[in-house]
Amino acid sequence: MSDRIFGVIGLLLSVFYIWAALIIEESFLSDAVGPKAFPIIIACVLGLSSIVIALRPDPEPVWPPLGQLAEIAAAAVVMFLYSMLLPEIGFIFATILAATYLAWRLGSTLLGSVLTGLGTSIGIYVIFHLVLGLSLARGPFGF
Amino acid sequence: MTMTTPRLTLAAAVLGLSALSAGAQGFTPENPECIAPANPGGGWDFTCRQVGKQLQDLGLLDQTVQVVNLAGGGGGVAYAEVVNKRNDDNDLIVAASSATSTRLAQGAFPGNTMDQVRWLASVGADYGVIAVAADSEIETLPQLLDIMKNDPRAISVAGGSAVGGWDHLKVLIAADAYGIEDVRTVKYIAFDGGGEAVTQLLAGSVQAFTGDISEAKGFVDSGDIKVIAVLAPERLEGEFSKFPTAREQGVEAVGANWRGFYAPGGMSDAAYDYWVDKIATLYASDEWKATMEANGIAPLDLQGAEFQAFVADSVNQIQTISKEIGIIR
Amino acid sequence: MDTLSSLADGFAIAITWENMLLALLGCFLGTIMGALPGLGPSNGVAILIPLAFTLGLGATPSLILLTSVYYGAMYGGRISSILLNIPGDEPAMMTCLDGYPMAQKGQAGEALAISGIASFVGSFFATWGLIFLAPQLVKIALLFGPAEYFALFALAFATLGGVSSTNQAKSAFAAALGLGLAMIGVDTQTGVPRFTFGEVHLYDGLDFLVAIVGLFALSEVFIFLEHRHGNADAAKKAVVIGRLTPPMSMIKQCTPTMLRATFLGFLAGVLPGAGASLGSFISYSMEKKLVDKGTFGKGDPRGVAAPEAGNNAAAGGALVPMLALGVPGSGTTAVLLAVLLSLNITPGPLLFTQNPDVVWGLIAALFIANFMLLAMNIPMVGLFTRILMVPPKVLMPIVAMVSFVGIYGISGSTFDLQVMIGFGLLGWVLRKFDVPLVPIILGTLLGNAMESNMRRAITIDNGDWWTLVDSPLALTLWAIAIIGFILPVLVGKVIKSKMRRDDESSLSD
Repeated sequence: MSDRIFGVIGLLLSVFYIWAALIIEESFLSDAVGPKAFPIIIACVLGLSSIVIALRPDPEPVWPPLGQLAEIAAAAVVMFLYSMLLPEIGFIFATILAATYLAWRLGSTLLGSVLTGLGTSIGIYVIFHLVLGLSLARGPFGF
Repeated sequence: MTMTTPRLTLAAAVLGLSALSAGAQGFTPENPECIAPANPGGGWDFTCRQVGKQLQDLGLLDQTVQVVNLAGGGGGVAYAEVVNKRNDDNDLIVAASSATSTRLAQGAFPGNTMDQVRWLASVGADYGVIAVAADSEIETLPQLLDIMKNDPRAISVAGGSAVGGWDHLKVLIAADAYGIEDVRTVKYIAFDGGGEAVTQLLAGSVQAFTGDISEAKGFVDSGDIKVIAVLAPERLEGEFSKFPTAREQGVEAVGANWRGFYAPGGMSDAAYDYWVDKIATLYASDEWKATMEANGIAPLDLQGAEFQAFVADSVNQIQTISKEIGIIR
Repeated sequence: MDTLSSLADGFAIAITWENMLLALLGCFLGTIMGALPGLGPSNGVAILIPLAFTLGLGATPSLILLTSVYYGAMYGGRISSILLNIPGDEPAMMTCLDGYPMAQKGQAGEALAISGIASFVGSFFATWGLIFLAPQLVKIALLFGPAEYFALFALAFATLGGVSSTNQAKSAFAAALGLGLAMIGVDTQTGVPRFTFGEVHLYDGLDFLVAIVGLFALSEVFIFLEHRHGNADAAKKAVVIGRLTPPMSMIKQCTPTMLRATFLGFLAGVLPGAGASLGSFISYSMEKKLVDKGTFGKGDPRGVAAPEAGNNAAAGGALVPMLALGVPGSGTTAVLLAVLLSLNITPGPLLFTQNPDVVWGLIAALFIANFMLLAMNIPMVGLFTRILMVPPKVLMPIVAMVSFVGIYGISGSTFDLQVMIGFGLLGWVLRKFDVPLVPIILGTLLGNAMESNMRRAITIDNGDWWTLVDSPLALTLWAIAIIGFILPVLVGKVIKSKMRRDDESSLSD
């Protein structure tokens, strides 16, 4: 069943893709092929393979129970918040928070998580910023 | 080694908290920063790194200029960031070139105009060339344009920018000046950079090449390609002096890819003057002249208000051409 | 003999204490950057440019440092592929396919060692190729016009069927998805935005590094989160590393593979625009085609040796068009090219005559770096495998954060990070559905070049689509693609099912 749904979603995606390709606003000046042809060819391949997937499904994958899906969603949300906080509170603090959360959810003790978070953050800061000279996000305190 | 940069940054940031009134007289940047609006390795990146390095080498700046790459939207992401978020930053300069003004002129930075930033100074220009393979029968620019006029399908011109980009515009300017009615019939093939375009000229896939002198230099030296026109107002100095300009062949076409910097629109006058002065001093130095010569960059000595006017002119000019040939409406 | 004496001069230039130290530093940093997800060879080189400038190095020492980083990153990418199933950089993607299964079978040490040897073989012969064949190889590059490039990329996609053979429809789906993602951004041909929906951040398109790190590294983190509850005990099972040196029989078995892969990878590297990823990809799929008896993808050492020899050979090959034409064959050589220009050296046809000291010094440095890397990598196998001892609850947060930093440090864009999280979730879902991830990456890597070359070819020929099959070389490539790869997939199924039916009928008789 999962593969059939997957195939239908793929088909819808290819239809959406063709629509999005058709509304590309062509400039006055174009080459002989134009910007739409190749994306439409790709969308056709996408659509055809989706149909085949829907018609000949593989064995059902093992889906995790709801609790673990929520776990993954929560991790994605934390990562998203991390990307938002990074420019605001700076690299060190944002990374401590995110790494601590991930370590905790992966089964570390509370103390262990905090230590992992601290170690990850400071370790990365030393290697990437101080040694390699990459410019990381600077917070209100300069790091 | 690399430790110096961040340590200074750190110190500067701490100092920065107590020195909020940086607009006072005798401005010196606490934490000079140069944004390269592209990933490392491109032209803007090198403008930042070269200028930053030489400013420090010549003792014009005490600190290392920290180069920050902010890629996206052909420079549009960096432009929007400077306008929206860092409008008052006195320590910031941003690398720019003709590509920036071309995109501004064609409205490719949605919602942004050239008046939103302060244009600092140029550090040189790269004049356009039109070239053909060494074994081509075409010898002069009018000859090439004549074939194009009679049968636009006969000549494919290769260049390193997208359709409507600077390399393309240069051919169109020449075609327009020669009197080709509908310049949109000119067949232009876009490649990823001048090097690839020259390679395809050598491979025989295309018949002509439009690009900058710096891109063509190696192949001209080796005798693989033949420059039929330099799009400069007058003959260049040095080894390129043997090539005729488009103008002396009766085609009124000039195209320079300038390189320079802009600064945030809210930069204080003291800071603006400081940066203009530093870049002007750098420009006048022998070291910079050597860099320019080695890279095939021609002089373009414009600072402050003069540069601001130059960019405004160039934006207007590109806008007019783009409208005329129908790239923008 | 002229060449050999020039090479001897090159060694004379390269062998100084300063240069040797720089090469050692470069190899070391390169290996680390190659192994860290998100920092590939091109960014690794770019990051170290300021270091070269700050140290005030001359042209030759700078190049020695940076090419050591380049070669080092090519070696390093395999480490995280094998140990963590996360490619450290894009060419190492193929090494995951057999490297990780080997590690799971308890052969991590052998996989690392054999891939190290394969890397050495690849770069070693590629460097000789660079010396003797550079002028001739440039002519090969000139045979490839836009139509031929299009045929070459089509060939790469045609071989996909052989790489992940579980469900061909899903492979095709993944490839189309990757190609579709590559279309996002400003069209390089006409300058109009496509599929950006007004988002300025999308104008430059999706960075394939964002895609690869999201799909492989972050989705791995999600998988660990999912399995944490059920498999708490399984995670505690003893980690088997295996021997730290490969048995002679394994080396013997892999030798023909390495040599074939070196040849193919080198050729792919020489063509500007194809690069190391294509080199490792084609090497793997061709090798699988040639010698696979059902063991590839399940931890066959040849499946580790082929892509590693291929990508390292391609790295050497990519230097040919960069030095001799001034055309970068890959992202990394584009950065190296920019370095050359900023050091006031103009690559191009005259480089070998105008700056012989730079060229030969560089080539000598490549040999030195290569031997250093071999010497460094084989003894360090034991050290690398220790990573497997780190429990996932510590390792995975580090992997996630390093991925974020790698991307953020290069582009400075939170938008990229968010796209990467999206790719992480997508990767998790697709893995559930058993959709192979490799074709997606291949699609995003090659999509734009494939489309541009198709459009260039057709535009040059005034709108005639037949131009795509108009030259002998293009026709040959198409023939290999169709006869060698597409037909067997289509016909193979028919034959197989027929054979099965025959078997069954003979049994029932």
